[in-house]
Amino acid sequence: MDVNQDPQIFLFLSRILGKKIIGAAGETLGRVYDLAAEFVDPFPIVTGIILSSAQKKKPVFLPWKDVVDFNGDVSVAINSTHELSPMNLRQGELLLKDALLDKQVVDTDGAKIRRVNDLQFLKTSQGMHLVHVDVGFRGLIRRMGLIKPFDVIMQGLFDYQLPNQFISWKFVQPVHSPDLLRLNITQNRLGKIHPADLADILEDMDIKQRVAVFQALDVETAAETLEETDSKVQVSLINDLNSAKASDIIEEMSLSEAADLLGDLPKAKAEGILNEMEKDIADDVKELLTHPEREAGGMMTTSYLSFRPSTTVKETLEKFRQEAADVDLVYYVYVTDDEERLLGVVTLRDLILANQDKKLEELMDERVISVKLDDNDETIAEHFAKYAVTAIPVVDENERMQGTIIFKNLLEVVAPHLGQ
Amino acid sequence: MEKIKQLWENIFQKGFWKLGLFFALIGPGIITSNVDNDAGGITTYSLAGAQYGLGLLWLLIPVTVALIIIQEMCARMGVVSGKGLSDLIRERFGARITFYLMIVLLLANLGNTLSEFAGIAASMEIFGVSKHISVPVGAFLVWWMVVKGNYKSVEKVFLVACVFYLSYIISGFIVHPDWSAIKTATFTPTLKFDTGMLTMAIGIVGTTIAPWMQFYLQSSIVDKGLKAESYKYARMDVIFGSITVNVVAFFIIMLCAVTLFQHGLKIDTAKDAALALVPIAGSYCSWLFAFGLLNASLFAASILPLSTAYTICEAFGWESSLNTKFVEAPQFYGLYSFMIFLGAGIILLPNVPLIGIMYYSQVVNGILLPFILIFMLLLINDKRIMGNYVNGRLMNIVSWATVVILNVLSVAMVVSAFF
Repeated sequence: MDVNQDPQIFLFLSRILGKKIIGAAGETLGRVYDLAAEFVDPFPIVTGIILSSAQKKKPVFLPWKDVVDFNGDVSVAINSTHELSPMNLRQGELLLKDALLDKQVVDTDGAKIRRVNDLQFLKTSQGMHLVHVDVGFRGLIRRMGLIKPFDVIMQGLFDYQLPNQFISWKFVQPVHSPDLLRLNITQNRLGKIHPADLADILEDMDIKQRVAVFQALDVETAAETLEETDSKVQVSLINDLNSAKASDIIEEMSLSEAADLLGDLPKAKAEGILNEMEKDIADDVKELLTHPEREAGGMMTTSYLSFRPSTTVKETLEKFRQEAADVDLVYYVYVTDDEERLLGVVTLRDLILANQDKKLEELMDERVISVKLDDNDETIAEHFAKYAVTAIPVVDENERMQGTIIFKNLLEVVAPHLGQ
Repeated sequence: MEKIKQLWENIFQKGFWKLGLFFALIGPGIITSNVDNDAGGITTYSLAGAQYGLGLLWLLIPVTVALIIIQEMCARMGVVSGKGLSDLIRERFGARITFYLMIVLLLANLGNTLSEFAGIAASMEIFGVSKHISVPVGAFLVWWMVVKGNYKSVEKVFLVACVFYLSYIISGFIVHPDWSAIKTATFTPTLKFDTGMLTMAIGIVGTTIAPWMQFYLQSSIVDKGLKAESYKYARMDVIFGSITVNVVAFFIIMLCAVTLFQHGLKIDTAKDAALALVPIAGSYCSWLFAFGLLNASLFAASILPLSTAYTICEAFGWESSLNTKFVEAPQFYGLYSFMIFLGAGIILLPNVPLIGIMYYSQVVNGILLPFILIFMLLLINDKRIMGNYVNGRLMNIVSWATVVILNVLSVAMVVSAFF
């Protein structure tokens, strides 16, 4: 047989499945039922053929090294299926048709869920690698076995050839089963997607996939993604976690988001999570929870920086460097007296540009705009529009500062009601 | 004394809480069932009543049972797998089968959509509005509601639309029927072996258990995001819906039987039925009947194209969401608009053989149904998908028996259409 072909050829899974397998003696042993592959980086390598034969009821495993020729029918170096062992997959090995074909995957480059129409392999002298996932209409037509007549018609009528739509395996995250997610956990590709896009993807998934994917994310990505997700989805995702894991994620979220989420949860679950959380964060969240969602108190965060008027710029900046990583609002620092009464505001720009020895009271803008705890979203929106600030502090009836509303948090409350 | 008080409080709180939960979780089953009483359904029931009187009334009891069995399986699959039916079919049976299945489904649903717009035209003509006005307005309304609204508001509109089916029940009471005769007819199965009556019986079954409903019901259950633990509410929803749909069907057949059949009036369409009611039962009754038809047609015309677009996009992995722009989901919006514009457009053409089109769309439905029911049974018995929620032995016997009977009826209808 001619073995000296082109050293590199592309093959489609749909063309491989069902191929005849010819033994060393020339008789038919069975047909290709599936391919097993080991999921290594960057491209999974085919380790063997799952063979369905008339003689054996259970599928048997044919190691890839026994394959002699893969063009046309598959020629193998064995004489009978009795030499083969039953299918027994090792760690990191999976069946490709079973796990991927016709299933959903996440395209991490385009941040979309796609359905796999076909898989494309690159066969070299070293072995056969899975390189592309076909998600296009052309792949679908190929699966129908109609690609030739389809091309003739399209070419004849419109002088057009439908292009292939491939995604490189590097940008594919299979999500069909928890096994697949675990497999890629070391190089989990979902982390490369922007949390806002990932949130959209999660919302598009069915409930089981959603839970599996969410639980495969690292705590930080999970928290960022959760902030961007619809509140109904948030609740269902958190409900499926135990309190310890849930509290880890919620601690990473911004305070106001965390409070909104906990407010939406069933009471018992929320209390369970609060007990697991670090005490100071839990206390802040509990404080926020006492206010209605559409009032200033419910929108504000208590995670901001405030200083006494006599603090110097130098001291302020030092403190700022230590704490800014965990603070929700960094564009303003507030100046308050000993009883937390709001005196003024300093922007981050002023701080950076100012002389290091200046005191905050010389620098601060005393015409600071604030709202009361029970002011509603409309009042707050008007303030934002009128004064063009990115955050508005919230004070109680004694002018003591309670928190600050970041524009983003207002938007989240108001956005669902826009355009109605 | 204190204890009794506590007990009462307990029952009250728990009872109301449960009732509240039920109302929070219902929707899909009731909506699906009621869409089922669409223009085609109302026509079939009117004809059954007008031609065979109370004779086929009993059939609604076995139909209700079959509907509950089939839809319960759909609901269970939706809740447990969290996936739509076309999704499951694609993943379990591969691209090729799914592709052809979706083509047939598209054709069948296009036919159904067409008959909904025919229903809009017919009912508005009773109120004296030309179809050249009512159909474009109807099509625009349907398109606008779905594209501009969100699912929650659309669902509310649909739930309200379900209430308007009461108009048939009111009409039923207006004509003061002989209740004892109706009772007898309901509980005594009679079937003469004449072709007409058999065809009509098959027609009633076919219009009540349609292929598209299984897809729609399962997707809307998935959309609700129900968990396996709250499955019992979904089941109650489905059972409640299946009974409602047949109560409405019951009143339509009864109404036409005690009026048109007793006066020996022949009718061909639901519009004839509404018009023929004027001299016998008064114009209020006729208007109520026409209003019911309009509501049913509009209702189904808004759901059918949407459900078809969702189902097909889900099977092929195309973007499908009302929250996206046209360019992001061209297939979805394309399919949706295609169905509405073709459905409404064909009605406006002069000399369209409407009855023929409707008849053959029923035939296509009949060809499709056996495949879908068998796929459903295979899927629901698949442990990898359903886990512990696969059919029990008894449920399997009952459901296979139901499916075999339905399939025999479908095949009979398809065969009779060609010979």
